[in-house]
This record gives sequence, structure tokens and C-alpha cells, in this order.
Amino acid sequence: MLNKSFLVLSLLACLAFRVNAEQAVTPPGLEYCTVCHGSQLKGNSNIGAPRLSGLSTWYLSRQLRNFKQGVRGAHPEDVTGKEMMSMVTHLSDQQLTEIVEWITTTESELPRPSISGDIQSGKALYKSCAVCHGEGAQGNEQLGAPKLRGLNDWYILTQLNHFRQGLRGIETRDAFGQQMQAASQILTTEQEATDIASYIQQLSITKSKS
Amino acid sequence: MQNISRREFLSYVGAVGGSSALLKTSLAMGLMTQDSYSGPVKIRPPAPGHKPTVLILGAGIAGLATAFELEQAGYQCIILEASFRPGGRNLTVRNGDKIDEMGNPQICEFDKQDNLYFNCGPARIPGHHRRLLHYCKALNVPLQIKANSSKMAYFHDDKSLNGKPKRIIEYHTDVRGLMSELLWKSADANQFDQLLSQEDVAKLMTFSKTYGDLTENGKYIGSERAGSTTDRMLDYPKPPVPLELKEMLDSRFWYGGLLGAEIYDWCEPLMEPIGGMDAVVNGFLKQLDNAPVLNAQVKKIFNREDGVEVTYERGGQFHTVRADYCFNNIPAYFMKGIENNFSNTYQTALDSIKRGHLFKIAYQMSDRFWERDGIYGGISYTSEPVSQIWYPSHDIHASKGILLGAYTWDPKVSAMFEAMSPQQRLDAGAACGEKIHPGYSQYIENGISIPWARMNHQMGCGMQMSKDDFKQYFPMLQKPEGRHFMIGDQISHHSGWQEGALASSEQALTQLNLMLDKQIYAGGERHVK
Ligand SMILES: Cc1cc2nc3c(=O)[nH]c(=O)nc-3n(C[C@H](O)[C@H](O)[C@H](O)COP(=O)(O)OP(=O)(O)OC[C@H]3O[C@@H](n4cnc5c(N)ncnc54)[C@H](O)[C@@H]3O)c2cc1C
Repeated sequence: MLNKSFLVLSLLACLAFRVNAEQAVTPPGLEYCTVCHGSQLKGNSNIGAPRLSGLSTWYLSRQLRNFKQGVRGAHPEDVTGKEMMSMVTHLSDQQLTEIVEWITTTESELPRPSISGDIQSGKALYKSCAVCHGEGAQGNEQLGAPKLRGLNDWYILTQLNHFRQGLRGIETRDAFGQQMQAASQILTTEQEATDIASYIQQLSITKSKS
Repeated sequence: MQNISRREFLSYVGAVGGSSALLKTSLAMGLMTQDSYSGPVKIRPPAPGHKPTVLILGAGIAGLATAFELEQAGYQCIILEASFRPGGRNLTVRNGDKIDEMGNPQICEFDKQDNLYFNCGPARIPGHHRRLLHYCKALNVPLQIKANSSKMAYFHDDKSLNGKPKRIIEYHTDVRGLMSELLWKSADANQFDQLLSQEDVAKLMTFSKTYGDLTENGKYIGSERAGSTTDRMLDYPKPPVPLELKEMLDSRFWYGGLLGAEIYDWCEPLMEPIGGMDAVVNGFLKQLDNAPVLNAQVKKIFNREDGVEVTYERGGQFHTVRADYCFNNIPAYFMKGIENNFSNTYQTALDSIKRGHLFKIAYQMSDRFWERDGIYGGISYTSEPVSQIWYPSHDIHASKGILLGAYTWDPKVSAMFEAMSPQQRLDAGAACGEKIHPGYSQYIENGISIPWARMNHQMGCGMQMSKDDFKQYFPMLQKPEGRHFMIGDQISHHSGWQEGALASSEQALTQLNLMLDKQIYAGGERHVK
């Protein structure tokens, strides 16, 4: 068996020239993450799996713990949340730490706009979000408000809707989620949620250019 | 020529020209219906001294067939497969096999016996799936008849007939009788006089009488065709009490069960490879020069000027390889997570292919209790979440059997099962089975569940594309982008069937031929590294 695969590999070496990629390798056992979240965890909207590269460690740890403890993803209508929950339930705390470490070493291109909201309206609405998440959507650890820059716009929209509709942030064990759930009530329409998501998307691109 | 009959002429053609000449002549003489399939594509062979290289991404049926044909034509192929096993959705499990569900890996605990296996994906082959049957023959995959319908099996709906399961033969007989009675009545009331002559109306009435087994005056009062409530060998037969028209209309068996054997892809007899559908996969593997590289997850695909560059990860290392051509069998909805330099439109076309949700359960049963009930193979249909129960038609009268305990297509129902733990699924399936076969649960020794939308490296089955997207994007995906060709049942009108996967491979290889022809006209072979 070993011999066979060695043969195949040496064959590959001769039929094609290799380029050594300088990228974060997937730790053994965590290949599953990349099936949905994609290469370098760049995200895949077709599966509903967001881009993870660039998120803050403290936020990632909290969310993974939430998934593991059924604090997030337990709502029957949160289909993708539930899918994620089933991936984390069996993992040890040590593995969760490893995942977070690995995520922070990944690098992927910034997401492109996938929804078209009214950016001016989004900008106005974002003012109240900026109090916690920051003007540049860079996040604020003291307030427990995650960085939003670099997240996919479709994912921001989905999560805003989940908060608004009580699919996320209704668990008493999830204090930060509850805060966000309350804050999301300033949005009264799907359109407003779309506008904000588009604005944050726009923000990610401009800020990172400068 | 006048002196010999057509048949004599054909046997002469056959003797001289062999069976393909015979086939062509028969077609020309209008003795057989034209079938567009005439064997695999003849790939343009490379120029002498050249061995063009091809990367095949994914070892599904489409990938394997493409590699097989290209190798035969003199190309050097490497198959990169993300999973620990080749075959993709063509998955047969036996004792000890792993079912690689995301978050819920299961190990199959069937007893270690040749007859105890389960086809988690494809399970049946109709006689007109010519490509697949061609390969079964060419690869020496022995087939047997698979009973896909049994009129002794049941229809069951909790909301009709007081939830009592009804034998399919009884239901079919009653439906025919009741419909024929309506037809007879309409004819008798001169409803067809504008349409038909008096003589033809009379014929129609005789037809309906025969078709529905009606009485002399056009009444349906039940029929012996549905069987008997007495022992027919020793007693006068007594047909079961027929359904009332209203009961029939209120029941919900019309689709599934009623048409179970009436649709082209399910038309009897169907076939299955002896010992499991993965015999097809093994058949290809035996013929390939290079075994697929397993655990090799493709992460990047880049079209380059004179070839395709692919990066995959294997055992914690990235490998970048190049080849002249690339055939991509990866489910298209994964492509957004794979770095590439495709045009925006091509990527949008790939994104238009959505995940499907199919779900199966299988139980190892300590006893083939269904056989004592007269059921040998076939399917019972129920309105319960499990939808279908399949009885194995192989290894009849063996001591144990693997029963399909659920097969769901409704995305909502499948999603419900997907969200459960494997044990919860088996329990829910058992509760449904009880309603059709009281005592069902006591025979269950162990079981497995396969939610295709949660399987590693698959995340779906049964490509879904909106009508508009299909019109706009399907033709685009049938064409290569650079030297990258998409394949798989997803690139066919018949996703969810291996025949579709093989057709896509054939189509892509035809495109390769076109590309090669163009290169020739553009001035010489360009099969260079
Ligand atoms: C429940 C069910 C019932 C079915 N019933 C029938 C039937 O009765 N008869 C019939 O003919 N057909 C049936 N089918 C359909 C049949 O299984 C499919 O049409 C066929 O197997 C599809 O083959 P494919 O080559 O298109 O793709 P797949 O089998 O999906 O192959 C894709 C391959 O790509 C690999 N891959 C994914 N990501 C990567 C990556 N990043 N890098 C490398 N490799 C990757 C996967 O692991 C997989 O091996 C059924 C399917 C299901 C699920």
C-alpha cells in the first residue's frame, strides 16, 4: 500500500513540476472544516459556510464553545447553525483551541460583494452598530463585539436576520448574543439588514486598501 | 436479393460483418428503433511519441470512466480523490465499513456475510441505461435482475383506510376497476358520440369491461385479480372488498406507489450488480494504470496557457501539479471554496448548481419476515417520513437480510432526518416500519443511515438547478473553460443516475476531440509540456 502511493507520488513529481505553496496546512483531523469553509477557510456561500480567516481569536473561541454547548445552532430553523453544531459537539476543548490557532494562520482573499444593498442607507444605519463594533467594523474585545470586516456580506445578512427573528441570541447562557439580539431590533426590514451588510462589505474593501 | 427473406439477409450480414454491421443494417432496414448510443467516444490518439497528461479531480463514476477512456487512448491520467475511498456516491457498505458523515461518522455493523451489504447510493439499473450497461459488460461486472416492484408489497397512509396498509395488487386492481367503471358509464351515457362512431363506442365499453374486470352491466364489484381472502387452492376465491371511489380519491397513493413501476427509469426489469453496486467502481479500478490518489483534497485549480495547474492537500502537505488537461468531477457547489481563475460567468454557472437532499436508512433484519408475507423484492410506499421500504430480491430465503428502511427525496423530510443523531434516525424509522409490518422493530439487529447532504466531500445528491439557470448555464458548463472540463451527473439532464455521470464524461471527451481538432488546424500538435 505504502509502496503504491509512493509510486504514484513520484510519478506525479515527474509529470508535473511542483510549486511549494506557503499556506497554512490543515491540521490532521480538521480536513472536514475545509470541505465546507473552503481552501484557507475562504468561505463558500453555496454551502452557507462563511469565510473564517481574519476573525479574532477570542470571538472564534467563544463561538466554537457556543456551538459545542448547544448555545448556538440549537434553534430548529437555524439549519446551517445546526450543521455546524453537529461538527463541533464531539470535539475536545484542546481541539477547539487548535482550530482557533489554525484559523488565525490562514489567509484568503477578501470576499467580493454578493448582495446589493443601498450603501448610503447602510452607512446611516451602521452608526449605532459602530458604537460597539467600531467605525471600521474592526470589533471591540472589551465589549465582546466581533470584527465584522472581512466577513461575507451574505453571512452578515443571514446572521442579522437570525438575530432579528430570534434564531440566534435567545439563549440565556449567551449574554453577548442576547445583547446583539436586542440591538438587532433597530432594524425593521430585510432591506435595512441588506443595506448594513452591503455597507460593511464596502467598508472591508476600502479600509484594507488604505 | 428478391429470393432471400429479410431474416436470411440479416444473418448473412451478421456472419460477414459481425454484430455491429448487423446492428447498422437492422437499423437501416427499420427493424430496430434508432438508439443514439454507439459505444464510448473514440478519443483522438496523441501524436506518436507523445503522452499527454490529464488530471482528473474526483473518483466518482464520471471521473473513473473518463480516466479509463483516456488511458485506453494513450493519455496519462492521475485521479485526485479527496475521500479515503474511491467511488463517490457509488457506495456499498458491508461489515466494518465507515460511513463518513460530517460530524456523525458511523461504522457498519452488519454481520460479516457476503449477502449482507447495502447500496447507500445507486442501487438499480434500467435496461435502457446503455452506457452503464456497456461498462458493466466491458468490465465484467455480473448483473442480476433486481425486483424494483412487488405487487405483494404495500401502500400505507395513516390518513386513509384507517391507516391499514393495502397490498399494491389490491389497490391497482381497484383503481383500474373504478376508473373503468367511470369510462363505461360515460360511454353508456353517450358522452363519446361526437368523438367515436357507434361501433367504436361499443368497443370502448368492451375494453373498459376487460380492463377493469367489470360486470356485464359495467359495475366494478371487486376482482379476483386482487387475490382472495380464502385459500384459492382449496376454496372458491373470494376477492377482497373493493375500495369505494371516494376512498380511492381521498387516498394519497396516486404518485409514488401507483407509478412506481410505470416510469421509464423504473420500468421492469431493473438490474443490479451481484454483490453490490460498487462492483462497477472496482471494475474500473482493476483496469486503470494508476490507482486514484486518495485523501487528496483539491484546493486550487488554475487554467494556464498550455495546461491546468492544480493544488491539493494530502497528509498535511500541499502539492501543486500540472497537466495538459483537467476533468473535474467535484460537486460544483464546492468550487466556490476552491481557489481558481475561472471567469466570473463560469463561476456563476457553477454556483447555480445546488445541493440535493436524499436520505436512506438500512437495517439488518434477523429474519426475512417479509418473505413469509409473500413479498420477494420490490417496494412498499408509505406517507410516513421513511417514504419507502425496499425488500432485497437477492439471496432469497437466506437467514438474514438487509432491508432499506427509508428512502426520502422530500428535502424537508430529509432535513428532518439529517438533524437527528444516527440512533434517533433508526428509532424513527423503526416506528414508521411498525405501521406497515407490526413487529418490525423486533427483527432489527443494527442499522445505518446515510444523509447524502451531510456526507463528507459530497454534501448533496441530485443536482438542483432552477429552470432559468439551467437554460442559461447548463450549455456553458458543457463546454470547457480553458482546458478545464466539468463532468459528473451534475452536467447532465439526468442527475441522480450513473447514466447521467457517464453521459457527461462522454460529452466532455467529445469536447476534448473538438479542441484537439482545432489545435491540429492551428498548426500541429501542441501536446507539449
Ligand atoms: C441515494 C441515491 C440513490 C441513487 N440511486 C441510483 C440508482 O439507483 N441508479 C443509478 O444509476 N444512480 C443512482 N444514483 C446516482 C449515482 O450515485 C450518481 O449519479 C453517480 O454516482 C454520480 O457520479 P459522479 O461521478 O457524477 O459524482 P460523485 O460520485 O459525486 O463523485 C464526486 C467525487 O468527487 C470527490 N471530491 C469532492 N470534493 C473533492 C475535492 N476537493 N478534491 C478531490 N475530490 C473531491 C468526491 O469525494 C467524489 O468521489 C443515486 C444516488 C444517491 C445518492
